[in-house]
Amino acid sequence: MTDLIQQLNDEMADVVDHVKHTLVHVTNNGQSHGAGIIVSSDGSILTNAHVVRQRSLQVTLPDGKTVPARLVAHDAERDLALLKIDVTELPAMQIGDTQELQAGQWVMAVGHPWGVAGAVTSGVLIDKTNHLINQPSEGRQWLAANLHLRPGNSGGPLVDVKGRLLGLNTVMAGPEVGLAVPADVIQTFLQEVAQALGNHKPDYLENNQRPEIV
Amino acid sequence: MAEVLSSLSDALAGAVETAGKSVVRVEGRRRQSASGIIWSADGLVVTANHVVTRDEDIRIGLPSGETSDATVVGRDPTTDIALLRTAGGKLTAANWAKAANVRVGHLVLAVGRPETTMQATLGVISALGDAWRTAGGGMVDQYIQTDVVMYPGFSGGPLVDVSGGIVGLNSSALAQGVSLTLPAATIGSVVETLATHGRIRRGYLGIGAQPVRLPETLAEQLGQEIGLLIVSVEAETPAASAGLVLGDTLLALDGQKVGHIEELMALLTGDRVGKQVAAKILRGGEVREMKVTIGERNS
Repeated sequence: MTDLIQQLNDEMADVVDHVKHTLVHVTNNGQSHGAGIIVSSDGSILTNAHVVRQRSLQVTLPDGKTVPARLVAHDAERDLALLKIDVTELPAMQIGDTQELQAGQWVMAVGHPWGVAGAVTSGVLIDKTNHLINQPSEGRQWLAANLHLRPGNSGGPLVDVKGRLLGLNTVMAGPEVGLAVPADVIQTFLQEVAQALGNHKPDYLENNQRPEIV
Repeated sequence: MAEVLSSLSDALAGAVETAGKSVVRVEGRRRQSASGIIWSADGLVVTANHVVTRDEDIRIGLPSGETSDATVVGRDPTTDIALLRTAGGKLTAANWAKAANVRVGHLVLAVGRPETTMQATLGVISALGDAWRTAGGGMVDQYIQTDVVMYPGFSGGPLVDVSGGIVGLNSSALAQGVSLTLPAATIGSVVETLATHGRIRRGYLGIGAQPVRLPETLAEQLGQEIGLLIVSVEAETPAASAGLVLGDTLLALDGQKVGHIEELMALLTGDRVGKQVAAKILRGGEVREMKVTIGERNS
């Protein structure tokens, strides 16, 4: 019995260790704080749009090194932003699949709540929903989990028991519901950004098409 | 990596899926739909009474995604249980967990279906206790408290154990600030009464009353500081027939002290209906004993 709980604890800690290799800290000249995720080995960083307050940004990597970052894309509606740092050979977060999600499955959120670096909270998935009441932006898709997100959790990963990215922790709704932007929405965003950059589009997309490339 | 954690996660999701086959959406009030539990495959559904505010135009959202009409079989506001009937057939009756197997510290899930999909949240059994009486006077066989958060629309849905068995029915209206669950035994007896009689019998006196502080010397004599001052007596009611009048202070009923309305309510049980019981009152500074035959509340 006790062995089982011990093993459970060890495994949860392993997942957190694994996730922390791709977790960064995003600051705006030391002003506001948020989390971010390394999504490509050549230095693409995903975070919430609301974490990015200005174009002069710094990213602190898992090894403690702080480097300047530049804003590549900003999408206020989906609350997603992509940053770029000039560092290569980074470990990148694997983006999970949201098709197979089940209510009740175990999830963990890693971030920097109140500035506490790499802090963890866990719970279960309530639902993949656009029906929760009291939610911001009616009609949007969210992953809802029964865990506490705090300032500093924004832009950090919500992961499953294998450490795969299910969503980007974004906001609390109601008393005890943490909401994350689902991985499929993130995938679409990343594809759109890649496409826009590949097509050498100007600073922003025409006709206010999202995402805004800056 | 993550053998035990994976198993745990799969087991929790599996428990939700298993229990969810018997969890329905209940559309019985204006705003947020709530949840219900399929009691029997022939179409009986139990839910929380407070989420069914209307008596007609009630719909049930089935796990299959279909909706079907339902009628109210009966209500017990005292335990916050309502029994509904919908078309039987493709329904999966709830698989109830053995009450004896539930222990403090166990992981449990609250499952709801406020919309088409199942929703779930996790917690532990915080406390188990003996039988208790709700503020409305309803008798509950076992006290079950959890730390699960009752999200909007979760009332009427089940508390589920890790193997998918249903421990009881969650209602946010039973107490403020704590999550309580009605055990299967209580639901069973209420359902049986409602299915047979369509109602739960409640006693009736026909008085309006409010708590008053008793004179100090009297309080010492009686060992009771508060009584219920009768501020109105309805005509042709058990109280009127017994000779209770405005200005009397009710001190005890059937040998039990009454200082608060809730205490009086708790004594007006169905099994006292039609019975003659002693009413101890204070009239003109004197303590008297009268006989009153408890009537039955209509609504």
